[in-house]
Amino acid sequence: MTDILQILILGLALGGVIALMGSGLSLVFGVMRIVNLAHPSLIICGAYVSYWAFKLWGLDPIATLPIAALIMAAIGVLLYRLMFESQAKSARYSEMTVLLTFALAMIVEGFLGAAFTNTQRVTSPEYATDAFFIGSLFIPKGQLYAGCVSLAIIGALTLFLNYSRLGYAIRATTQNREAAELLGVNVNLISMIAFAIGIGLAGAAGSLVSFVFSFFPAKQWEWIAMLMSVVVLGGMGSVLGTVVAALLLSVIAAFVGAWVGATWSTMTFFLALFVILLIRPQGLFGEKPELA
Amino acid sequence: MAVDLQQADASSVLEARRIHNQKLARQHDQTRATWFPLVVLGVLLALPLLQLTGNYNYLLHLVLFTASYAVMASGWNIIGGFAGYISLGHAVFFAIGGYFSGVLLARYGISSLLTAPLAGLVAAICGYLVGLITLKVRGPSFIISSIALLMIARILFDHWGFIGGANGMSLPVTDLPVQTAKLPYYYAFVLMAAFTVWATYRIKHSKFGLGLRALSKDEVKAESAGINTRFYKVLAFALSAFFVGMSGAVWGEYLTYLRPNIFLIILVSANLVLMCILGGKGTIAGPVVGAILIVAFNEIFVATLGASEINILATGFVMVLGLMFFPNGVIGTLARKGKLPRVLNWD
Amino acid sequence: MSELLQVTNITAGYGDGPAILDGARLTVEPGKVHCIIGPNGAGKSTLLKAICGMLTIRKGDVVFKGERLNGLRPDQILRKGICFVPQERALFPKMTVRENLRMGGYVLDDTKLRDRRIDEILERFPVLRERADQHAGTMSGGQQQTLAMARTLIVKPDIVMLDEPSLGLAPKVVQEMFDIMKMMSQEGVTVLLVEQNALMGLKNSDWGVVLDLGRTLFEGPAEAVLADPRIQELYLGGRKVA
Ligand SMILES: Nc1ncnc2c1ncn2[C@@H]1O[C@H](COP(=O)(O)OP(=O)(O)OP(=O)(O)O)[C@@H](O)[C@H]1O
Ligand SMILES: [Mg+2]
Repeated sequence: MTDILQILILGLALGGVIALMGSGLSLVFGVMRIVNLAHPSLIICGAYVSYWAFKLWGLDPIATLPIAALIMAAIGVLLYRLMFESQAKSARYSEMTVLLTFALAMIVEGFLGAAFTNTQRVTSPEYATDAFFIGSLFIPKGQLYAGCVSLAIIGALTLFLNYSRLGYAIRATTQNREAAELLGVNVNLISMIAFAIGIGLAGAAGSLVSFVFSFFPAKQWEWIAMLMSVVVLGGMGSVLGTVVAALLLSVIAAFVGAWVGATWSTMTFFLALFVILLIRPQGLFGEKPELA
Repeated sequence: MAVDLQQADASSVLEARRIHNQKLARQHDQTRATWFPLVVLGVLLALPLLQLTGNYNYLLHLVLFTASYAVMASGWNIIGGFAGYISLGHAVFFAIGGYFSGVLLARYGISSLLTAPLAGLVAAICGYLVGLITLKVRGPSFIISSIALLMIARILFDHWGFIGGANGMSLPVTDLPVQTAKLPYYYAFVLMAAFTVWATYRIKHSKFGLGLRALSKDEVKAESAGINTRFYKVLAFALSAFFVGMSGAVWGEYLTYLRPNIFLIILVSANLVLMCILGGKGTIAGPVVGAILIVAFNEIFVATLGASEINILATGFVMVLGLMFFPNGVIGTLARKGKLPRVLNWD
Repeated sequence: MSELLQVTNITAGYGDGPAILDGARLTVEPGKVHCIIGPNGAGKSTLLKAICGMLTIRKGDVVFKGERLNGLRPDQILRKGICFVPQERALFPKMTVRENLRMGGYVLDDTKLRDRRIDEILERFPVLRERADQHAGTMSGGQQQTLAMARTLIVKPDIVMLDEPSLGLAPKVVQEMFDIMKMMSQEGVTVLLVEQNALMGLKNSDWGVVLDLGRTLFEGPAEAVLADPRIQELYLGGRKVA
């Protein structure tokens, strides 16, 4: 019984981080209909920011999270301007943007690999290897902190989307881009802001990831499939759905990892993706299949 | 041809409308040049004669390499170009073909050159089964599922002891003298490339190909026009897997070893997509032109820069530039402008 | 001249595609109802999209109150006072009727004014008041069209452009839409209407514009358009036309 509880706790804590990793992806898809395959590579960029800040100056990764987020958001603006703005009127928008983000993922991976090599990195603040003990349960501090910070950020994001004027405009653009434009929303600006927020979230997630997982540039492909299965299960574009899906899948993965074997734990996400596509292509919260 | 309604009568307005509509509908009145690919094939078949005068193994390697990619890119074009389903998981079929023939070669000593069509068939069957699941979704969801397929296959191959797991397996090395060692593979790939180009041409101009192009434009409408879209696209997926698998089989023996981190990487898939896009997705000559461009480009980069990271970076970069400035590829862009030279019009 | 909006010989198309409009012109006078007719694919919707800034104008001018609108974004043009209801009605299906109206007032910075106007509108359209908290996507076609038209009134625009408000509606409901349009017109809103049913559209308008092949073939008082034998033959079903 404590066994099960133990696995559940570990799964939920990791799930929180994965939710944050996926939320930016979901936001960008929701507003701009871009499946950002480069998202994980940008998370890894964020992770490097916190990694070097820790390694060089001993700065705590949670403390450097806002910095990583801001840097990545700025990069997001740049990427939007350079690559995606001009695609808005393309007849094959969704295909073009996916391929562009795919190419971007390769550029980032190649760049990071050339700059920092493909060795495994991990930031190691004290709490990363420490744990709380409650009876016979142990809760690793690193994962707990990361999970809580993630959920706090997602909570703030949800409040922002639901109650601010900007959030209102973002949601309207998500539902019907053309209509929002006709009612006076500057959809291009809104898209840029949403994209920057999404990439900023990737940066924030990167800071947390840097001490929860080990990372290296090529790790992104594993994460792409993992995050995509979360986002698809959550119903492409719904941030809430992403959170629920992340928690659900990572708990299942934790059980699979404990009972079947660590290799199969990552496999859970990929197989889940197939199962979802097979029985409910629109995901848990989506309303109709994504036929772009 | 300004029509002034004040003077013109109704029939001249109708005539003007007909001309106007014709102008809007893009015209493809260019004639095909069938002789050109045949001449190229002839030259390539005769090329090994150079070996009599010296060692041209590097040249043969380049042609062989390009031909192998032309096979795969043309295969990919069937699902990605004709049917419009972008797959980033085709490395899986490359690996399936390679491993299938590789195992036969290692265990029973049967050359992959003989078993390649069979390997293609196995890849096609796998493609058919996978397609039944993943082709239920279109657009971004499909692309994602194809990446997931690659990840799943990678984990399976990495942990399957029978085929050597992550360490892979080595295959017997040919005992031909160095002057002729490459020739069997050279001819195999060149002939496969010729066959693939011919086959994709036939597919494109068949009723099946027409159906694929219809469903790539609008699946619902194609369905209501009586096309069995589900069967069509799954079949297209299987066919494209066939060519990629066949190429993988010969490639394995040529390389003399099989390893997941060579066969099952996204870069292989990415290259196929890149070739089709740079060359011109959905055209017959496009994948071939793309293969030539990418191989040439790769050789230059590897020669000057080496490191694989730089290679990934450069591939990504070329892809971005290609997508942004030539979204229709070399062939597509030229054709749109009506400037496609006759020799490159194989459609 | 007292024109409110003047479109002179514009060329426009989608993306880098062919020019769909080539030589379209239009004069809009304040307070009147204008009706654009023409066969399917003539470029009627394209013309409205070009005016409201959704398409780039490659040649020619759109002048509104003496000011060139070329190159402005849709949100900027809306702020100038031109409101567009597209063929597909542009509602937010997963927002309630009230939220849709609120989005209609997105450009108003004064939220009190916005809410007051929303209340006015709900007062005037009982159909909408009864369904204020229902999701827009779950309403009937006529109700959705009513919402889309009513929503324009929140910003009190100078010109409302309606693209086929009658599309897919029963004849009785179509008449309701024309009534709403007339009411808007009586309140001083200038209406620019695209109508597939040319006869009905012209009968309800002051000014008629015939668009075909991407350009304006004829422009004049609605009665004159209705009376012209060639127009009757080509566009009003006087004779079967391919
Ligand atoms: N989004 C688009 N992208 C490219 N071409 C388009 C697009 N929308 C319309 N067209 C083309 O523009 C031309 C004119 O279309 P438009 O919608 O303006 O016609 P219309 O006069 O409104 O016809 P209808 O009465 O059917 O609504 C058509 O040839 C059409 O194919
Ligand atoms: Mg129209």
